[in-house]
Amino acid sequence: MYGGEEFSTPDYYDDFAHTGDPQLDMEYERTYFARMPETVKYFLMNFCQAIKEGNLYDIQNMYENTFPQISDHHFDKSAWPEEQEVATIVDNDKVFLILYKELYYRHIHARIPGGPKLEQRINSFFNYCDFFNLIISSQNPVMLELPDIWLWELVDEFVYQFQNFAQYRARLTDKSQDEIQQLCVNHSNVWSILCILNVLHSLVDISNIKKQLEAISQSVDPQTVAGDFGKLSFYKMLGYFSLVGLLRVHSLLGDYYQAIKVLEPIEIHKKSAYSHIPACQISTSYYVGFAYMMMRRYADAIRTFSEILLYIQRTKQLYSTRSYQNDQINKQAEQMYHLLAICLVLHPQCIDESIQQVLREKNYHDAMFKMQCGDLDVFKSFFIFACPRFVSPCPPAADAPMEDYVKDPMEHQLVVFMDEVRQQKDLPTTRSYLKLYTTLPLAKLASFIDPNASEDDVSKLLIRLLCFKHKMRNLVWSKGPSGLEGTFKSGSELDFYIDDDMIHIADTKVSHRYGDFFVRKIMKFNDLNRKLKNINI
Amino acid sequence: MSHLVKMENGQSQTIQEMLGCIERYNPDHLKILESYVQDQAKNNSYDLEANLAVLKLYQFNPHMLNFDITYTILLKCLTNLPHTDFVMAKCLLLPQQMKDENVQTIIDLADILERADFTLFWQRAEVNRTMFRHITGFHDSIRKFVSHVVGTTFQTIKKDLLKELLGGIEESTLESWIKRNGWKHQGQNLVVVATQDDKIKTKNITEKIEFDNVGALMAQCI
Repeated sequence: MYGGEEFSTPDYYDDFAHTGDPQLDMEYERTYFARMPETVKYFLMNFCQAIKEGNLYDIQNMYENTFPQISDHHFDKSAWPEEQEVATIVDNDKVFLILYKELYYRHIHARIPGGPKLEQRINSFFNYCDFFNLIISSQNPVMLELPDIWLWELVDEFVYQFQNFAQYRARLTDKSQDEIQQLCVNHSNVWSILCILNVLHSLVDISNIKKQLEAISQSVDPQTVAGDFGKLSFYKMLGYFSLVGLLRVHSLLGDYYQAIKVLEPIEIHKKSAYSHIPACQISTSYYVGFAYMMMRRYADAIRTFSEILLYIQRTKQLYSTRSYQNDQINKQAEQMYHLLAICLVLHPQCIDESIQQVLREKNYHDAMFKMQCGDLDVFKSFFIFACPRFVSPCPPAADAPMEDYVKDPMEHQLVVFMDEVRQQKDLPTTRSYLKLYTTLPLAKLASFIDPNASEDDVSKLLIRLLCFKHKMRNLVWSKGPSGLEGTFKSGSELDFYIDDDMIHIADTKVSHRYGDFFVRKIMKFNDLNRKLKNINI
Repeated sequence: MSHLVKMENGQSQTIQEMLGCIERYNPDHLKILESYVQDQAKNNSYDLEANLAVLKLYQFNPHMLNFDITYTILLKCLTNLPHTDFVMAKCLLLPQQMKDENVQTIIDLADILERADFTLFWQRAEVNRTMFRHITGFHDSIRKFVSHVVGTTFQTIKKDLLKELLGGIEESTLESWIKRNGWKHQGQNLVVVATQDDKIKTKNITEKIEFDNVGALMAQCI
C-alpha cells in the first residue's frame, strides 16, 4: 500500500500521524526526512534490488562497505530507520525487510550505548525466527543468494545475541519486578537454548552438510549426497556455519565434548573449500583450542592455536581494511596468545619460531615465568581475559534472590580450570631440577627440594613424579575426522623414567635453526636484484 | 543389552541414534537415560556420551536433577582414568550440584587421583566405601589406572611400593596384576615393569632441509 505512486500524493502522511495541526505536521515531515537522508533511501533501494536479482558482487560490496560507511556517517550511535519507513521504499519486499531487520538489530546491538532494550531483543529474536522459518519450513529451497560472509556473520550474530540475552537475563539487579516478570515468565521461550539448538541442527540437517563433508573426505562428489537444498551454496554454507555455531554454543555451556564432537565431519587441521572466511576459521580454532585446553589435551591445543596464529600473521593485510572484522580478529588473536601461553607453561614444547617471537615481543614471558613459579593469580587473570563469555542455559530460578548471576557460569569454569592448575602446581619446579641431569637418584632430588628431606619426603617426591607422568601423558590427535580421537603420548619436551631408585631423564635439545633465516635473506636479495635490473640509466 | 527409546511417532530408536539428533535434548528421554546410567554401574560398562547427555539435560532442566544419578556418573568417570572424562563432567555441573556434600567428596577423590597420591586415595576410599558399592569393578578400574601410571613411570619398582600403590593388596592379588600387565619379577623384591630406555630418550631436533624443499626457491633465483 505504500507504493511509489502514493508517495507523492498529499494523503500519504495520513497513514502515519496526521494531527490536523499544520505546524506539527510540518515538524513531523522535517524529522521524518531528517531521519531518512537521500543517500540512505537510495542505498536501500539499490540494496533491495541487488538482493532480488541475486547479484552477489553488488550485495557483498554494499554489505561489507556501503552499509558500514552509512552507519558511520548517519547512524553512529543511533538506530537505522524503522521497518515501516523502509517498507515504503522497497515496495514492502518481505524477504528484504527480514534481512534489513537482521542488520538493523545487529547495528543496535553493536552501536547503541547501553545496549538493546528488552523489546528490541525480543523482536530481533522473532525476526531470526521469521528468517529461519522462511528458509527451513519451505517445501522447496528458497531461491535466495547471499554472500558467504553475510551468512557466516548471520549465524555468528544469532549465537552472539543468544549469549548476550542470556547474560542480560542473568542480571537481576538492574531490573524492576515487572521487567523480570516479562523476561522470565511471559517471554521465557525467547532466545531459549532449545530454540537455538533446534535452528542450528535444522540447518545442519536440511543442508546434508555432514554427508557432504564426509563425501569430500572420501573424494566423492558432494553434490551426489547434497539433496535439493544442500545443492545450493546458500543452504550448504548455512549448514557449515551452523556446525561452527554449535561448536560455540556448546563451548559457552561448558560442554567441551559435544563442542568437538559436532565438528566431526570437518577436518579442522586441513584447509578446505569452506575455509575462505577468515573470521569463521579463527573463531573455529579459538573454540576448538579452548576445548582441548580444558580437556587437558595441551599438545592439541598448542597445535590448534599456533596454526591459526600463524595464519593470522600471514593474512593480516587481507582484512585490516574492514575495521569491524579486524577488531574482533585482533581481540580473538590476543586471547589465543594468552591461552597459548597458559598451555606452554603447563606443557612446555617447541613451537614455531615466529609465534615464539610474538610471545617475546609482547612480553608474555614475564607472566609465563610467574606462572611457572606457581603464581595462581596470573593463571586466573589470563584465563578470565581469554575465556569465552560462558552463559547459563536457563534463567535464574523464580525464587532466586535479586542478584547478579552473570558471572556464575564463568566462575564455575574457572574453578574447574584452577583445580587442574593446582594439581599441576609443583610440576614446573620438578621439571627445572630434572632438566639439569640425565640421571639423578630419588633421594638426591628430594634433598634439592627440601634440604632436610626424610624418608617420608622421598615418598612425597614419588607422588610428584607419578603426577608428572600422568599429567604429561595426554591424548593427542593424529589422524581421522574426529577431533576427539587420539592416542596417549608424552609430547612435552622433558620426559623421564624411574629405575628403582634412579631417575633417568630425557630432554629435547633443539639446535639453532638456520633454514628460515636463509630463505628470508634469499628472498630479500632476489627482490633487490629484480629492482636493480629494472633501473634504467 | 540394548535400550530403545520410544519416539513420539511411535517408532523406536537406540540410545546412540537418539543422541545423534535434536532428540538428545528432549527431557522425556531422561528416565531411560538414567536407567542406562544405572545399568552401566551394574554391568561395568561405560558410555561417556550418554552420561554427559544426562548432565546436560539437568543443566537445561534443573528441576529434574537427580543427585544419585549424578554421583554414579561422576564415579563412572573416575573408572575411565587416565582419560579426562571427569573434568568434562565437572564442567557441566550446576551450582546446586557443586554445593552437594557427596559431590564434593567425589571431587576430592578425583583430585587425589589426579595428583597420583594413590596411598591417600585408598585410605579415603575405605572411609567412603558405601558410596561406590553399587559400581561393579570400581576398585579394579582404579587399579587399572594405577597400573597405567606405574607402567609409564617405572622401569623397575619395589614390590612393596607396588603393593601399596595398588591399594595394599594381598600377595596373590599382586601376582594376578603382575600377570595381567605383563610385568615380571626380578629377584625377591623388584618387579620389572617395562623397558623404558629405548622409548624415553633424549631427542635432538636438528633442522633437515631437503633439496625438494628449496628447489623451487633456488630455481626462482636463476
